[in-house]
Amino acid sequence: MTSPLLPGDRPTPRSLLPVPLLTAAVSAAGVLAALLLVPDAAIGSVIVVGAAAAVLLCAAAATAAYAVLSARAARARLESVTQDVGRLLQERSRLTEESRRQHERLTGELTRERARLSTELDRERAHLAEALAAERDRLNEEHVSAIARLTQEHADECARLTDAHTAELTRAAERHAEELRRVLAQHADDAARLTLQHTAEHDRLEDERARLAQEEARLGAENTRLTVRLREADSARAAALAATANAAGRMQALSTGMLADLRAMEEKHHDEEVLADLLHLDHRTAQAGRLADSVAVLTGARSGRRWARPIAMESILRGAMGRISGYQRVRVHSASDTAVAGHAAEGVMHALAELLDNAANFSPPSAEVHVYVEEVPAGVIVSVEDSGLVMGEAQLRRAERAVSGESAELGGLTGTRLGLGVVGRLARRYGLRVSYRPSARGGTGVLMLVPQDILVTPDAPTPSPSPASAGMPSVPASPAALVEAEAAAALPRRGDDGRTETGRTRTGRPEPETGHVTARGDAGQAPADGVTCPGSALSYAASRAGADLDPDPVPTHESAGRDSDAPPLVLPRRSRGRTLAEAERTRPSGRTGTPRPAPTAEETKARTARFSSFRQAVRPPTPDDTADPDSGTTPEPTPETQPTPTTPEGDTTS
Amino acid sequence: MSRPGRDDAPDRLYTLTGGRSRSGPDNPFDLVTLVVAECDPVPGMQSEHAAILRLTERPTAVVEIAAVLKLPVSITRILLCDLQAAGRVSARHPRKAAVPDPDILEQVLVGLRNL
Repeated sequence: MTSPLLPGDRPTPRSLLPVPLLTAAVSAAGVLAALLLVPDAAIGSVIVVGAAAAVLLCAAAATAAYAVLSARAARARLESVTQDVGRLLQERSRLTEESRRQHERLTGELTRERARLSTELDRERAHLAEALAAERDRLNEEHVSAIARLTQEHADECARLTDAHTAELTRAAERHAEELRRVLAQHADDAARLTLQHTAEHDRLEDERARLAQEEARLGAENTRLTVRLREADSARAAALAATANAAGRMQALSTGMLADLRAMEEKHHDEEVLADLLHLDHRTAQAGRLADSVAVLTGARSGRRWARPIAMESILRGAMGRISGYQRVRVHSASDTAVAGHAAEGVMHALAELLDNAANFSPPSAEVHVYVEEVPAGVIVSVEDSGLVMGEAQLRRAERAVSGESAELGGLTGTRLGLGVVGRLARRYGLRVSYRPSARGGTGVLMLVPQDILVTPDAPTPSPSPASAGMPSVPASPAALVEAEAAAALPRRGDDGRTETGRTRTGRPEPETGHVTARGDAGQAPADGVTCPGSALSYAASRAGADLDPDPVPTHESAGRDSDAPPLVLPRRSRGRTLAEAERTRPSGRTGTPRPAPTAEETKARTARFSSFRQAVRPPTPDDTADPDSGTTPEPTPETQPTPTTPEGDTTS
Repeated sequence: MSRPGRDDAPDRLYTLTGGRSRSGPDNPFDLVTLVVAECDPVPGMQSEHAAILRLTERPTAVVEIAAVLKLPVSITRILLCDLQAAGRVSARHPRKAAVPDPDILEQVLVGLRNL
């Protein structure tokens, strides 16, 4: 190809030079002609304009020359390029022809090869199909032959097994038939035998039934008889219980009366020998009274006495001690000032006496029994500790059961277990709780809880400077005691009370003590009755106060409450007593304490008692000097002022 | 201790003295011996002892004590012997002149009755 810019294509400056030069020479000739033609004055400007026009003409001539030359070069070049293009077109057509021939050759080769391969493949496929068919035929034949063989074998085996089974079946049938015959024969024998037996048994049972019917009739008769006997026994038992309760009540009344008598005798006799004997008898009687109380409790009767006022714990303990044989071995440790309500005091005392008796009896004769009293919120715990025999487990359980009071039956009682049964009854009645435990002293400890509802906390006794009032009871200050006293005073007025009747029957007896309570109830009574004058010559029976037998002793302090409504004084000498009291009070002695406007009933009574004791002490008793003027001359007291000599008899028998 | 009645306290006399019924042969207490307390009652004391000590803050005769306590003189004497042995009371014998003639007293009594 031709290069686009050849060096000869551009006109060189040398070739351009003659044109401007020629032009310049023409122009110079023109200028010179102008100069010649023009005046002198315009020469200068003509020169300048001529010069400038000459220059410009030269430049234009040069430019034109350059353009003509450039066009000539470009035409030459165009011709060469057109020749190149023709040549190239020829070349291309030649190459196209060649490639078409090559393509045709290769296509033919390919077609030939494909045909060859197809032929080869068909041949191979036919060959394989033949082999497969042959193989299939062979296997089919083998299968048919095997099936035939196995069928044959199966048929043989089936025939053989059927034969064996048939034989076996035949044998079993024979065996079974034989067994069946044997069993049938045996069953027939058994049936015959059992029928015989059944018949015999049936006969025997018929006989038995007849016998039982007879027996039943006999037992029915027996039952009727026993029912009758049971009813009789029940009524006999009830009668015996009632009789026992009655007897116990009488014994209680007797022992209570005897105790009062003994107390009176103890007041009367001052010989120490006699006093010792009396105390001995007192002790024995107290024990007998406890036994009567026990019998009464066990038979369901009321326990002995009912106290009209709360009994202090110390008295409870001493009362319990006094009823057992070994009281000298009992040591009491008590600082309690509580008291037991009057209705429950006897029961608590009795239960405690039984516990103390047990403790003393079941410990060595020289060992002491210690009693401790402890106040707890639930009440008062009295613990009895001995150092005797330790109870065994079974004994302990039996004792616990006995004192729990669960069973009210008399069946479990023996002579020695009487006490615990009594404790159980009393515990149940008054809500006491009794428990056993081993004692730290080596023996057995019994705890008895006296519940709060039967306890009375007494008012603190006010210490009085006067000796006369120091010995006065602090109990009357308690409102409860006053109420009880009022109730006791009102007792005889109750028409529906059986005890009043008992009291009336007693009024028929010549009882000098009918004025006794009246005397006690009066402030100024002369010291002339059998109580405050033990040295009097009254006979023993005459000196027995009705109150001695009274299970509900009327406390003296009731007089304070009865002063106002006391009947008209039956003794015309009341003023004497007052005079005596006045005299005593005005005696120049500091012992009477602070002067008071009027002596109270207690004061005057205490003075009276003191004076009578003094008189009795300083003078040997003579039979006639103090014949009680009241004993025979006392008018019949009004029923309101009668003592209330109610006895347990009246309650147990009513 | 309140002993307002004759037999309205449940405790028996022998329980007061632990079963003793005789005071010693050389006890200083006869009926008119004046007894004086030497100390105050203490809690836990037997109530009769406490009552005696309260009573004998001023000199008091044995019979008077017995009357106030409503106990027989013998029993009172045993209680007093116990107290004296413990040093809680002392005994003073009154002068002879202080004791009036029993006959005079008896006459006084009869005169009072006849008033």
